Amino acid sequence: MYGDLGIKLVQHAKRTQNLAHLPPYQTELVRAVTREVRDLNKDVDDLLEPFQGSFDPSEDQAIAYTLLVNHISMRRNKRCLLAYHRTRTDKLEELVWNGVDVVDLSGQQVRDAGASRGNTGVASGDGSTSSLSPQEEDYVRQYGDLLAAYKGQWTDIDLTGSLEPPRDLFIDVRVLKDAGEIQTEYGAITLTKNSQFYVRQGDVERLIAQGYLQKLS
Amino acid sequence: MDIDDILREVDPASHGIPLETRDLQALTRLWVAERSAPELLNWPADGLFERVNSKIKSQIERIEDMTGDMDPKTNFALIVIQTELERYKFLVRSYLRTRIAKIDKHTLHYLSTEALRQRLSPTELAYATRHQALLHNHYLSSFLSSFPQRLQNLNDTAGNVSMIDSPDLDTAVFVRLLRDKDVYGKGTDVDTILPAANGDVLIMRWSSAKGLVEDGDAELV
Repeated sequence: MYGDLGIKLVQHAKRTQNLAHLPPYQTELVRAVTREVRDLNKDVDDLLEPFQGSFDPSEDQAIAYTLLVNHISMRRNKRCLLAYHRTRTDKLEELVWNGVDVVDLSGQQVRDAGASRGNTGVASGDGSTSSLSPQEEDYVRQYGDLLAAYKGQWTDIDLTGSLEPPRDLFIDVRVLKDAGEIQTEYGAITLTKNSQFYVRQGDVERLIAQGYLQKLS
Repeated sequence: MDIDDILREVDPASHGIPLETRDLQALTRLWVAERSAPELLNWPADGLFERVNSKIKSQIERIEDMTGDMDPKTNFALIVIQTELERYKFLVRSYLRTRIAKIDKHTLHYLSTEALRQRLSPTELAYATRHQALLHNHYLSSFLSSFPQRLQNLNDTAGNVSMIDSPDLDTAVFVRLLRDKDVYGKGTDVDTILPAANGDVLIMRWSSAKGLVEDGDAELV
């Protein structure tokens, strides 16, 4: 049936919205839907060919309806594809904004997602099982550059910083992973695992986002 | 004094307030308005952000100067200044991010006409154009290039369905009246005209409230 594959893509997209990580790119499905569009277009051309551009819908209604259904199916497939890709790029952009490392993003996020949910079963670090398509990797890289360029206009603000209104200048943090030594205005602090510090929020924001520190309320 | 008092005091006639204070008030208002309005509002044209930026810069320098001082008194002042700076930065950051989110959501819509493009700042415009180009390229290389030629557009309006998604201008917003006025509101069944006094808070469609906000008769809350 026309459109069966398209709806699968949309279902994938819908599921992606609620996931913490990005599921693998559906190369096969995308290819199949694209093929369907090409086939439909070929059908349309074949149907129209004998008329040499002088087709009158009211004379041959059966063909007119076939054409209509084909056209609508093509458009629908296109929408499905666009929606699927847009959902994924939105997700990727979010990751870029959150400062996830772009270079080893593909393998890392699967591991990250696994770690945050506490199950160790999912581990696919090598590039061959990347959940991004090559085009998506390109896109992420370019978007990262674009974002960096835009952020460069506002160097003092740190656009990717926290969107929570700042309440206190200093906060309590607990170190979850060894992060080495950091420099602050009040001297150097060595962050060793399980230790606790009272530090300036601005100094450690990055580390909190990267999961090295945990903010204590 | 809470934020409402501050906002109420903003009055173009009051020249007694120093420029810095007025800038902060303007920024706060812009931020509140931008966060509640469903569509992108105008980028402030009077150089507000240039001033805000230079203020932030000079405060940062001041903090750096003061850090060397070990006097407990300066230390206290330092904390106050740093807290203020963090809050200032948060306002700007949140404001810019809200705008970027709106632009990302309806990029083609905001790029489609000159009037809409005017609302963006030059850097935002550059960002939006580039972002859209990136997306289009991504679609093209992922699947669109193998489509028949006439289906490759991203801005088709054929069949009464526009591919350009635009913000819903009829969503509800809360506004506070800044002077007495009869407010015209579009309803589902009947349109109404409601006499409202200064300070009244109304909930109405953004499409009806827009004119009031632009004329300075009301503000978004």
